[in-house]
Amino acid sequence: MMGDIFIMSLDAMKSYKVRTFLTLIGVIIGIASVIMVTSAGDSVSYYIAEQWNIFNPTGMVIGTGTGGDVPQLSIRSIVFTTTDVENIDKLPHVKNVAPIGVVPIKKLSLREGFLQWQDTPGETMYATTPALLEILNLKLDKGKMFTEGQNEIVISKSLTTAFGADKTLDVGSIIYIQRIDQVTLKAKVVGILKDEGTRSYGQIAAPSILCPSKPYYSTYFGSNVGTVLRRVTAFTFLLAEATDTAHVEDAQQEILKYLDSGQSDAKNYIDKSSDFVVITQQYILVRIEQVMSVVKTYITAIALISLLIGAIGIANIMFATVTERTREIGTMMAIGAKRRDILQLFLYQSTIIGLLGGLIGVILGASGSIVVVDLLNKNIQSLGGAIATGSIQVSYSYEWFFVATIVGILIGIASGVLPARKAATMDPVEALRYE
Amino acid sequence: MANNYAIEILSVSKIYRTGKTEFKALNNVTLKIKKGEFIAIMGPSGSGKSTLMNIIGCLDRATSGRVIIEGEDISGLNDNRLADIRSRKVGFIFQKFNLVATMTAQKNVALPMVFRGIAKSARDDQAIELVKKVGLTQWATHRPNELSGGQQQRVAIARALSNNPSIILADEPTGNLDSKTGVQIMELLSALNKEGKTILLVTHALNLTKYTSRVVTMQDGEVHEDV
Repeated sequence: MMGDIFIMSLDAMKSYKVRTFLTLIGVIIGIASVIMVTSAGDSVSYYIAEQWNIFNPTGMVIGTGTGGDVPQLSIRSIVFTTTDVENIDKLPHVKNVAPIGVVPIKKLSLREGFLQWQDTPGETMYATTPALLEILNLKLDKGKMFTEGQNEIVISKSLTTAFGADKTLDVGSIIYIQRIDQVTLKAKVVGILKDEGTRSYGQIAAPSILCPSKPYYSTYFGSNVGTVLRRVTAFTFLLAEATDTAHVEDAQQEILKYLDSGQSDAKNYIDKSSDFVVITQQYILVRIEQVMSVVKTYITAIALISLLIGAIGIANIMFATVTERTREIGTMMAIGAKRRDILQLFLYQSTIIGLLGGLIGVILGASGSIVVVDLLNKNIQSLGGAIATGSIQVSYSYEWFFVATIVGILIGIASGVLPARKAATMDPVEALRYE
Repeated sequence: MANNYAIEILSVSKIYRTGKTEFKALNNVTLKIKKGEFIAIMGPSGSGKSTLMNIIGCLDRATSGRVIIEGEDISGLNDNRLADIRSRKVGFIFQKFNLVATMTAQKNVALPMVFRGIAKSARDDQAIELVKKVGLTQWATHRPNELSGGQQQRVAIARALSNNPSIILADEPTGNLDSKTGVQIMELLSALNKEGKTILLVTHALNLTKYTSRVVTMQDGEVHEDV
């Protein structure tokens, strides 16, 4: 008989489709929020764990910007000289340091014959040193690293087909690089990087071309060195790694101390409103967790409010339904329905609403998690996560799907109890007289 | 059980209290209805006839006195036991039909059997049979709003019969119907009476008494037997 009354409840709900749907909305939003919070939280935790495992946890970015508790990198000033790079490399807890100099390029050309050229638009080209490979965990697929002062470059796997699949670049290929200052430089490919997939390095896009500072990099173009009259090679920022995870902070302090001392060239070139900033991998991960906890707090609040509103909504609609069906309730009692039957009839309805709200909410929340994770990924970029690799992947905590559905059902039951009791305790004589 | 009576009302009073005022809806009523009787209860509004019917139908409790339905004293039974007696022994027919709007005719007819806990296949068989009996086979899958008043009342009668009760309580069953349809409904009730059902008809309409075997009139909570 319980099954029969359950079917009666379903039939009644089918007759009030719009009403049922409207009642569902609150629960759906609440449950969807819960799923989004838990999935996004899980995705971030997973990402952070992965970062520590696969990426260099000793990595750090040295640049200029605003210091303090929440340091922010800016990439406006070009202040770090090769001397600074050499000196930082000598610090006790610094294992490696490599400069990053962006070489703005207009186009790459491949000579196909006498007066015959094929062009491809500019790619990301960084002037650096071989130490970069170790800091960024990059590997050479074949060939070797370039030599400072030689017309040699190392290219990414994806660039090998930039001129077409039939004209694949290989070790030994010659291309011509035209910088945006119209200077064209010959370059011999000496090494090809292992394919790193879609890895990016925050503000540093995955490099297509790595080259030595000399002859490709010049701070004269696009620089604001300004007062510096002599030709000096200076970089926007440097990447470094500490000797081991236990000494990341030591390395950070040593670097800052060196840069702020009178010994560094950078101290002479930095403008007075800027600070030196050293952002560690750990700091980036901490910031991601901070952003995540803010997001969690907000969504949890939304979830709780929605669930409460959802519950009130169900109760409200159920009260209205009970009142509307008063005479029907009286009739059912007259033809033999026990109070328990009437209680079940309405309790099933609110439970089904809760269950449906839970299920739909789980589905919506699972989809919404993709959006949340996407937002978080965009946030990583703005966190100065120059050495945070990859992006957060959506990972679902399936046990929460189950929990959320149960919560939906419980909300349905809880909000249905009072209306169902009202129905079940009606005086049949009064109910039959109801107009 | 050497009991000839379907219903025995023994010195029953029903008093409604609102604040300090008392209203005697039934004043020491005694009425015995034999099995197979077709009895009309007449009287003006507020005379107590609906209260009497509700007490017989186990929807309401008497303030004092005893009510015996087919030899079973229902005075002092709890809600569940009363529901059980309603389910087994009494079929209700209302002036406004009181069908469940979201259910088809056949499902309405089967509803009392749902509350009785009868299996679906048995319910369906019985409901189909009863829908046929009231001549609505082709309307079985229609909802009440697709049926005329007379058809709805036929569905209600079929529903009243669904647990095969021996007593039918009809409260102004023709009150919302035109006279021609009303005659058809009364003939249907009359046929049921001939099959052995005890029928208690509450009505204002004097012309319906020609179908009944006995008429009692109520006035101010008291019963007056017509001769």
